[in-house]
Amino acid sequence: MEPVPEDIRLLNGAYWLTRLRWIAIICVPIGTYFCGSVLGIALREIPMYTVATLLFLYNVAVLVMLDRAARADREVSPRAVKRIIHLQICTDLILLTVLLHFSGGIENPLVFFFIFHMVIAGILLSPKESYLQATFAVLLFGLLVLLEHKQLLRHYCLTGFVPHCLQESMLYIFGTFLVFTTALYVAVYMANYIATRLKRAERAYKQANVMLEEKDRIKDEYVSRVTHDIKGHLATIQGCLAVAVDRMTGKLEDPEADLIHRAHTRSVKLTNFVRALLRLTQMRLSNKLEMADFSMGEALLNVTGAVQAKAADKSITLNCNIDSSVENVFGNQFSIEEMVTNLLLNAIKYTPANGTIDVRASSDENSVLVKISDTGIGIPKEEQAQVFDEFFRASNAKRAERDGTGLGLSIVKYIVERHGGQIQVESEEGHGTTFNLTLPRTA
Amino acid sequence: MEETKILIVDDDPDFTAVLKTVLEGESYVVDTAPGRAEAMEKIQADKPDLLLLDVMMATWSDGFEMARDIRKNPEYKGMPIIMLTGVEQRTGIGFKSTAGDPEWLPVDGFLDKPVEPQVLIAEVKKVLSGKP
Repeated sequence: MEPVPEDIRLLNGAYWLTRLRWIAIICVPIGTYFCGSVLGIALREIPMYTVATLLFLYNVAVLVMLDRAARADREVSPRAVKRIIHLQICTDLILLTVLLHFSGGIENPLVFFFIFHMVIAGILLSPKESYLQATFAVLLFGLLVLLEHKQLLRHYCLTGFVPHCLQESMLYIFGTFLVFTTALYVAVYMANYIATRLKRAERAYKQANVMLEEKDRIKDEYVSRVTHDIKGHLATIQGCLAVAVDRMTGKLEDPEADLIHRAHTRSVKLTNFVRALLRLTQMRLSNKLEMADFSMGEALLNVTGAVQAKAADKSITLNCNIDSSVENVFGNQFSIEEMVTNLLLNAIKYTPANGTIDVRASSDENSVLVKISDTGIGIPKEEQAQVFDEFFRASNAKRAERDGTGLGLSIVKYIVERHGGQIQVESEEGHGTTFNLTLPRTA
Repeated sequence: MEETKILIVDDDPDFTAVLKTVLEGESYVVDTAPGRAEAMEKIQADKPDLLLLDVMMATWSDGFEMARDIRKNPEYKGMPIIMLTGVEQRTGIGFKSTAGDPEWLPVDGFLDKPVEPQVLIAEVKKVLSGKP
């Protein structure tokens, strides 16, 4: 999982706050009704319902603001989102204070709910900002208690819940206020501490990931350089041997000729392996692939034409059926042809003589579908998930053909994915294999 | 019959020797050049009928640039060129699957290193016969 960038994290946090607020909007009226009508506690019900309505309206307003901030030229400004979060927390604190005022002030255990906002501030905001929010909450609550105590503001006693009005008791007020203040600051401190540690861990994880990717790239470069050098020498060795073999045709009973022939065969195999390895690493290293519109039908005909002779050598019937709906595809034609060639050569290699290979292409609204099925040896069910892995060869494939690089299908999958397509395999051992290929028509 | 001159441009002397042997076996007159400068000199002096050009010499794009230079020069415009290249060099740089895209790389054929003798001879014959 990729670490979430700061702007998205803030935006998600802001939306999270609005979702939590829906719970408050539902719970305030229900709680008011329950405490007032069922438990018979003296509550100012009208102001309570009014606060719930205000909460509802303001939550809708926040959602509208957030949607606008998220849409504005598609770039989310963390500062704008942070402003909305500050606004939400401040408004919540004020409304909560109003709610407390109409439901007994300091007598109401609802004061604990201030802590929720401190935790939220500690997670979403910087330490300084969250301590400021805590101070704001302390001031709001302190003011309410002070005004009610000095009787500058009317105190609505929570009769039915507390035995007698508590706001007159200096000790109670002082004690509760002290605990309240401490609880708020400690909550902010703890939330900050946890959030900072999480962020630090996330950053470390991100750095480790970047380092791993870089190491992988260095490895690819290394493999690419080494194989490229090997290939250069190998090309020359194979060339020399090929000429020698060519000149010795008809003299193969000579032991020297036989040895040279063997050396040539092996050099061809080694070249194929090195070439596949080089192809795969170079594809991984280059992040650009020239793309253009090309006719998929034509590409398929090119490829089937090119391998027709190989199929005929094994008396394999190669059918190519291209639906008229198949049109142009946006991609790299060379790579696509290479990919289909790989699939067809595999099919020919693992299909016994007199078999059949079908290539079918069709098209739907967004993609071109190519189905390549053969009547070959198939792939055991338990090995199908691995066939696209580098160097993997199915157990029955190894039995049938000693030689193979195990890289062909990795290259196929890589090319398909580079084009935003998908490839799936359907097969049953002994009953042929079908590769289903989906390529998007546009990038 | 007039002799057909082929110039091989490649910095690997052993590989060049292989190509030379194969082509001389087919009675072509073969000359070699290890780099771009020598090749241009020989082209001017001998006017070969066909150029076998390795894509990668001093730098990865030496062969490409040389092919383009030759095509730009009106004197050698018609000279057929076969480019020797690895398959991996053909993607990512705007190659079309068929040779002779005049907008990108004006060459008449491609050969993948290593080259089997029969394939080399067939390609050389094909390109020479297609000569206007």
